[in-house]
Amino acid sequence: VDPGNFKTCEQSSFCRRSRKVQSAGSKYALIPGTLNTYADSLTADLVNKENHHQFAFKLEALVGSTFRLQIDEKQPLRPRYRVEHALKGQPQAGRIRVEQETDGEIVITSEKNKAVIHGDPFRIDFYENDVLVVSVNAKNWLYFEHLRQKAQEPTPDPSENENQQEQDAAVETPKVADAIDDPGAWEENFKSHHDSKPYGPEAVALDFSFPAAEILFGIPEHADSFVLKSTSGTDPYRLYNLDVFEYIVDSKMALYGAVPVIYGHGQQHTAGVYWQNAAETWVDIQTAETNVVSSLVNFVSGSRKTPPPAAHFMSESGIVDAFIMLGPKPMDTFRQYAALTGTHELPQLFSLAYHQSRWNYNDERDVTSVSAKFDEFNIPMDTMWLDIEYTDGKRYFTWDKFKFPNSLAMIKNLTELGRHLVVIIDPHIKRDNGYFFHQDCTERGYYIKTREGNDYEGWCWPGSASYPDFFNPVVRDYYASQYALNKFQTVTADVMLWNDMNEPSVFNGPEITAPKDLVHYGNWEHRDVHNLYGHMHLMGSFAGLQQRDPNQRPFILTRSHFAGSQRYAAIWTGDNLADWNHLQYSIKMCLTEAVAGFSFCGADVGGFFGNPDSELLERWYQTGIFLPFFRAHAHIDTKRREPWLFPERTREIIRNAVIKRYSYLPLWYTAFYELELTGEPVIRPLLAHYPQDKEAFGVDNQLLVQDRLLVRPVMQQGVSKVDVYFPAIDEKKNGDWWYDVDTYQRQERSGYVSVPVDENKIPVYQRGGSIVPKKERQRRASTLMLHDPYTLIICLDREGKASGSLYLDDEKSYEYRQGKRIHTIFNFGNGQLTNRFEGNPKYKSDAWIERIVIAGLDKVPSSASITVNGVTQQLEVLPQERSVVVRKPGVKMDVDFALKLNYQ
Amino acid sequence: TQAPRPLGVSLAKAALYQPRADNSWTCLDGSRSIPFAQVNDDFCDCADGSDEPGTAACPQGKFHCLNKGHQSVDIPSSQVQDGICDCCDGSDESLVVGCTNTCHELGAAAAVQRRNEAELHKRGAERRQEMITKGKQMREEREARRQELNQRRKEQELLHTEKQQLKQNAEALESEAVEIYKEQQRELDAETAQAEQEPQQMRQEASLSFVRYDTNKDGFVEVTELMVDMNLDSDRNGVVTVEEAKYFLDERDRVDLDAFITLAWPRIKPLKMLAEGLFQPPQPEVVASEVEGQQAEATTEEAQPTPPIISEEQAELAGGEDIDADEEGEEDQYEDEEEPDVGVGEASADIEDAAPPAYDPETQRLVQQANEARNALEEVERSIREIDQEIKEIDEQEGKDYGLSQEWAVLDGQCYTFEDREYVYTLCPFDRTSQKSKNGGPETTLGRWDQWIGKPKKYSQQKYANGAACWNGPQRSAIINIKCALEPKITAVSEPNRCEYYFEFETPAACDSEAFQAETDSLHDEL
Repeated sequence: VDPGNFKTCEQSSFCRRSRKVQSAGSKYALIPGTLNTYADSLTADLVNKENHHQFAFKLEALVGSTFRLQIDEKQPLRPRYRVEHALKGQPQAGRIRVEQETDGEIVITSEKNKAVIHGDPFRIDFYENDVLVVSVNAKNWLYFEHLRQKAQEPTPDPSENENQQEQDAAVETPKVADAIDDPGAWEENFKSHHDSKPYGPEAVALDFSFPAAEILFGIPEHADSFVLKSTSGTDPYRLYNLDVFEYIVDSKMALYGAVPVIYGHGQQHTAGVYWQNAAETWVDIQTAETNVVSSLVNFVSGSRKTPPPAAHFMSESGIVDAFIMLGPKPMDTFRQYAALTGTHELPQLFSLAYHQSRWNYNDERDVTSVSAKFDEFNIPMDTMWLDIEYTDGKRYFTWDKFKFPNSLAMIKNLTELGRHLVVIIDPHIKRDNGYFFHQDCTERGYYIKTREGNDYEGWCWPGSASYPDFFNPVVRDYYASQYALNKFQTVTADVMLWNDMNEPSVFNGPEITAPKDLVHYGNWEHRDVHNLYGHMHLMGSFAGLQQRDPNQRPFILTRSHFAGSQRYAAIWTGDNLADWNHLQYSIKMCLTEAVAGFSFCGADVGGFFGNPDSELLERWYQTGIFLPFFRAHAHIDTKRREPWLFPERTREIIRNAVIKRYSYLPLWYTAFYELELTGEPVIRPLLAHYPQDKEAFGVDNQLLVQDRLLVRPVMQQGVSKVDVYFPAIDEKKNGDWWYDVDTYQRQERSGYVSVPVDENKIPVYQRGGSIVPKKERQRRASTLMLHDPYTLIICLDREGKASGSLYLDDEKSYEYRQGKRIHTIFNFGNGQLTNRFEGNPKYKSDAWIERIVIAGLDKVPSSASITVNGVTQQLEVLPQERSVVVRKPGVKMDVDFALKLNYQ
Repeated sequence: TQAPRPLGVSLAKAALYQPRADNSWTCLDGSRSIPFAQVNDDFCDCADGSDEPGTAACPQGKFHCLNKGHQSVDIPSSQVQDGICDCCDGSDESLVVGCTNTCHELGAAAAVQRRNEAELHKRGAERRQEMITKGKQMREEREARRQELNQRRKEQELLHTEKQQLKQNAEALESEAVEIYKEQQRELDAETAQAEQEPQQMRQEASLSFVRYDTNKDGFVEVTELMVDMNLDSDRNGVVTVEEAKYFLDERDRVDLDAFITLAWPRIKPLKMLAEGLFQPPQPEVVASEVEGQQAEATTEEAQPTPPIISEEQAELAGGEDIDADEEGEEDQYEDEEEPDVGVGEASADIEDAAPPAYDPETQRLVQQANEARNALEEVERSIREIDQEIKEIDEQEGKDYGLSQEWAVLDGQCYTFEDREYVYTLCPFDRTSQKSKNGGPETTLGRWDQWIGKPKKYSQQKYANGAACWNGPQRSAIINIKCALEPKITAVSEPNRCEYYFEFETPAACDSEAFQAETDSLHDEL
């Protein structure tokens, strides 16, 4: 990427202005006597003591240790934009109690939390169980540019003397105290682009300190480490949805998605802030760069030598709307955030299996033969993808009739084998008078408008294109209706969707996106809503797929995303490169996305640009199978890289990896159900379950799948061993037991362990104390595994215990929401395995338990017996090197059983 | 009559699936002994998967579809009991899936298909036989021709030695005579002589060229008559256009002898000489004294006469564009050489120095003889070059693999085309493949003949490599997949990989009845 195509903070006038406050500070105070308290909230007026402009302040308690803080102008010249559709619904109000109201200080409590509001200077301190965890405006960096009239410029009329007096008068107009002299305040240029800024300066900015935290993480999407870095001396992190070509890693530059949620984490406390603003946003991070010396000093002195980590959010327009989530533990804050913005709903199973994509599979024959090759080489594959070239000249909802004369037959070829097809549909619409979609949008005024009220025209794949204004509900309805099978007749209800380029990408626009002074539905400027455009596109798409087939769960992949987009779509990390760096960043990026709501995340396996060599491709597959979204994809200029085009050795390594992914599908599926149920991310950083282990904070080349697997893929070239970090559960460096999933070899100590790796090895460990459900029979597609039997892997902890869950249903429809599901909790202890159902197991499944593997037993049992409905049967126990296998328990998935190990 | 077989076991392996007396059974890899009741009990006990031939329980297992009435096949155990009927007899799925047995129809259809294909191969093979005959004949002709050329080359080499000797002798006499003559002429005013001589010499050359150009002998040289002389292709695009030719005729349609001498020849002559590698064109108008003066100047400062080197390069450029142009160029050169007085070789020195003096008759005769000897030698050298060129071509063809029976040889020299929506593709077997946009634009070479790459049947696929380089990518290449048909034709072209093309090509040369029969027979199974 050429960074020169994108703005620096210095080149962005509002960022420049907002950041300047960091040196001077601001002066805001509550106006005494304006306080009003309600059952769930309080309000007051806030004043800027320098220019006396007044603001309305509101603090609201929500259930689940969350507060919402809003600041808007008391009487704005025109309404300021408030984000819509990001929250999954109206947050559930909590209750507050005013504990104290003295000397410009108000203390309220809600649940076990406390907020102390200081009047002058304005500041709010949030306590979780009497520990200060978040401080708002502790640095006095609150900055709120109220809307104003543009000062009349003196009439440039120098020749006429008689006007001189008038001119003088104009010049002498008293300067308002808060005049903004920044040259970019009322219009701004970047490269050849002009931003007319008709409403002038309207930035909002606020700082949040995390006194109980040592590190900050969150605010995707950036190709950066999991732990956020200090921005002292660099640009802030930027949140502005952009189509970045060949993006660089280890960078704070903006990418395709913007999720303004940040977490502060310390050994005892974790808290978060969701800054709900859809305008361009920059975030300064103040944090002591963690190094051994500073942590040693802190450890020895027992006190903090540096100011607490803080984040300064700066947005170009809108209001202050911040949600303070008080934890106290990492998983609590993740759940609190999910309670606000929602989760991905349980996806169809096939979408968790392997996706085969390329820009482009050329024609019907190509698609069919690639699918057949997977069978020829006995490699499972679920979904074929078609990129933009399948369309008739990049007119979405149409097909190239020459290359795809009979798409329905081609789709049938796939679906008959249990496979699916995904097609791309981008938001840009070709400006072609013969194209029905363009005709409709033009006639009905569905496009985004220029300032002058004309349809905006930009340049994208089809050439000249316009962009539907998805903020208009009528446009979303129209868009959704296009998916109906009687409209889009060349697909079936099994064809799913890929929404790309929805930042939106505009090849000839400023920073490759839409100009900020475009006008949306409701007369909002694009400036106000930019980061939400993709989200609104997704709402239309999701509704379209749901209406098309109300009993099939939609699958959509999106590139642009905002807080809440996870309710509609999976994401991938965009146009990465076939190099080892990008492989490493795929995990870091998806971990950050996962804690920001986007568990359903993956990266293009193999890298989008460039040609991976065998080793890189092998390692990329081995890594990709442990990210939730698993798709191989490549640029049109790259060489083909389907597994059989590589030497047999490589093909087998890839095949083994894909088979391993399929064997763990029951775990992934269960994890996604539990995500929908609880908001707990599917993949997690180590700190999610080992919050006290400081060494684990920055480990972002490993991930946890729920709390059951620890994955440390090989992501360096030519290595014969890797260092795996086993986290500690307490200050004494005790750790969980971890079992190598291939050998059941056990790691009993925490800390780094050097593990030898051959070309087939993926270092993956199952936590002692967990039970993992698998399906170990191979099929050509996941949908064909529905009736296959399960294997339970039980890895025992120090007490000889383990537990774990399994979820199953029809893997496709919404009937699970009517109770047609089985959610089982397995418990093992004292040599006995039992199951327990969450709710009634109403789904009828043919599946059964094929084998139970137990690792960590002190001695080998002679046999096992299983009791179902009072009938007991003997089972064979097959001893293995470091485990035992209970042969063929044979029980169906919806019956209670007790299985006992016998020793003679 | 048949041994009882567990599901998924082939007839050949049935005997391996017999329980022992104690009802135990040993995995086929010998790794374990299990109760026979655990064979096909839907749990994998053997490391090699041999205990579950009829279920999906073992990861690497194979299921044998008997497919009575059709072809028996082994399918991977991953396809057993997955709800998809993979065996035509439906034996891979339990009854609930409801597979219908389609083996008889499929078998019948396959038989028809095989018969049709056999018939096609049979009929195609007749044509192939013709191609073989022709190919062999071509090879014999090539070999005979090669022999003949070898012989002729030997003859020409002898002749060359002889002519070289003659030339040396004649030149010795010539230079002696010329020296003598020059001595005699020393008292004459050289400048005057040159001044008179040059126009006269020029007029003489011009007149002879006029006669050569005036092919229809009407006393005029016309535009069309000039257009055959490739030396006049000023912009070197392979064609002498009307405009180009007209320039040499002083923008007239035709000129008579006088006009030719005064207007046309001064324009034509430098190009002829340039093409022959004689010299860097001086300004035709520059008079001899000036040339001398310049030369003198050059000598005093830094006498390094580069012109001949430059002219060689230019001559090469003029002919280097493509083979056709080359050939034409050569022909022209030969024609020029036949001209007696637009001298080559040594004669050029005279021109450069000054116009050749008018010798006395004896000297003139010796010069004339030397010229003839030089021409005779040149003639032989040209002949040797021609022979070498032809030998090279034959050797190249000999180097190409035209198949075991020369059946592909006939295709060398043919070209086939295929049109799709955007492009016209051309395949000239054993030479090159190319693509041309229907919207115009230049032809793009997709590859030049490389080799046969079919596996396992070598003569089923050709590769053409080293085509035009892709923007930001590799050189284009093409793979030609070849099938039997009665008429040669390209049936499809695709670009599965960026810049890697794939042709489907049919020709009777690929029809091999015996090989087809052998293949079919080998597919016959135990049924």
